[in-house]
Amino acid sequence: MKRLAWIGGFVILAVLPFFLGSYHNDVYRKMLLWVTLALGYNFLFGICGQVAFSHFAFYGIGAYSVVILLFQLGLPLPVAIVLGVVICVVLALVVAIPATRLEGFYLALVTLALAQLFIVVLNEGGNVTGGTGGIANYRLPPIFGWRIAGPAYTVVIVALLAGTLAVLWRLDHSWFGRACRAVRDNPEAAAAMGVDVARTKVIVFTLTSALAGIAGMVYAFVDNTVNPPIFGLENAFLILFMVIVGGAGRHAGAVIGAILLFLLPFWLSPLVGHHHQLVFGALVVAAILLQPKGLIGLWDRFSR
Amino acid sequence: MQDLLELAVSATASGCIYGLIALAYLLMIRPTGIINFAVGEWAMVASFGGFIFLTKYEWPYPLGMAAVVAVMILVGWATERIAVRPLVEKGAPLLAPILALLGVLVVTREIISVSFPPDPLPVPFPFGIGRIEIGPIGGSYQSFFIIAVTLAVFAGTWFFFEKTLWGKSFEAVSLNRRAAALMGINLSRVTALSFAGGAGAAGLAGLLVSPNISAHYLMGVPLAIQGFTALVVGGVGRVEGALLGGLLLAFAEQFIARYAPIPSGYTQGVPLLFLMVFLLVRPTGLLRARA
Repeated sequence: MKRLAWIGGFVILAVLPFFLGSYHNDVYRKMLLWVTLALGYNFLFGICGQVAFSHFAFYGIGAYSVVILLFQLGLPLPVAIVLGVVICVVLALVVAIPATRLEGFYLALVTLALAQLFIVVLNEGGNVTGGTGGIANYRLPPIFGWRIAGPAYTVVIVALLAGTLAVLWRLDHSWFGRACRAVRDNPEAAAAMGVDVARTKVIVFTLTSALAGIAGMVYAFVDNTVNPPIFGLENAFLILFMVIVGGAGRHAGAVIGAILLFLLPFWLSPLVGHHHQLVFGALVVAAILLQPKGLIGLWDRFSR
Repeated sequence: MQDLLELAVSATASGCIYGLIALAYLLMIRPTGIINFAVGEWAMVASFGGFIFLTKYEWPYPLGMAAVVAVMILVGWATERIAVRPLVEKGAPLLAPILALLGVLVVTREIISVSFPPDPLPVPFPFGIGRIEIGPIGGSYQSFFIIAVTLAVFAGTWFFFEKTLWGKSFEAVSLNRRAAALMGINLSRVTALSFAGGAGAAGLAGLLVSPNISAHYLMGVPLAIQGFTALVVGGVGRVEGALLGGLLLAFAEQFIARYAPIPSGYTQGVPLLFLMVFLLVRPTGLLRARA
């Protein structure tokens, strides 16, 4: 019964874009992508307690790799997708293995350096990354002779969201999810219970980074352009803020936070122009000081 | 040879800047365990302070420099009051103030970005533009000024930790918070002082580097990254480690930029490389904490 309700919900999400105009469809699918990213980051930050600034960079790495593999190297789509995931996994392992050897916030340090370097590589990458202009004017290759575009492509994004949520949900409700929460709440106790703390962190980081990379591959064909400003470092903070404001450690919190902070600039722009980050920053400080459980915590309190 | 020595002087100057940023991290991490990513933004704020006092109002350099450092100390103290103290008093986990400081980081950057034009703004050199040559070693006035100020700051910090009661209380808090509190050390005063000192050190770094690179609202993040890399390389245990780590990083960066056949932008990858290598090979940093 419950499963039927979930499937029904995703069917509604998938049918909705066919009734939206092209502008609203664009807003709608970008919102779904942010929700997907926030769900993945929530597993790393909210459930496993690891701060990293590379989640959005992996989104960009996924997008750029699939475009470069498809159109610069001329590989077929399935190969490009698999190779793109492999690139994300290898990079995540290279970063996470040294960074998780010590207690402390080394993963945050290393991933901030990685995210910064990613932007530099995009800008300096010459013909491979297209430099500051990025790569544009490409199209998703036909799949079984069928060109997916417009609202139909939004269905792909809904499928991505559903798949990401399914993977995270299953993990969260397995022994692995409990191990992650133990690593977050009390690493010594977790280690005493036989959880390999460093390995758990590495696995979670690699998995969520790969999920972000897959989301990036889907994003690459939303606007059919990838360029450095899209993947700016401010997004790394934004994704963290979404999870904090919504409620870290809860899937529903990540969804609420992502939707709220994604839509807020549309209402704020008459007031503050492009400086909505100012409001986000203040919101996060307020949330941590006054409501550490986020909006979902407020909901819990009032629905009781 | 001439070229090499010239490069060494400018690398030493950059290393001193990284060392000051690393010192700012260290002053806050030692007593509180809090890693404050906003130090880069503090350096950025100080370079805008340099623009206001020195370029706009044309104050004499020593007065302008004192004003910037005073403002930064105030900024650090206020940050601690707003984003750290309430959480520490509530007994929140260590992650909470770190996240709150990330919020402060974004707010700080946006306030500067709203208040100033988006183009880089000039900050004057204290002694104008010119060269000093001591035997075979030559470099710009600014390089030698940076090195002199940094050495003075590190000497002062060393004196503070080794010779003053205040410095001893810092060490006591970093060794054992509870025991220090029981010995009558005021924990919140030590925390406030560490943030004020951290902002002062980061501010000095920003002011010293700004004549070379101009004040810009996005200059903070690279400095923050180079600073914590210097800290990881040198080790959190010792104050000299911050300077040593900064120098090593700067030499690697500048020699790679000069001699390696890669686009100069890619030298921004050196901090990441250093972080990964040192975390794998020497995770406690080059200098061990003294027993």
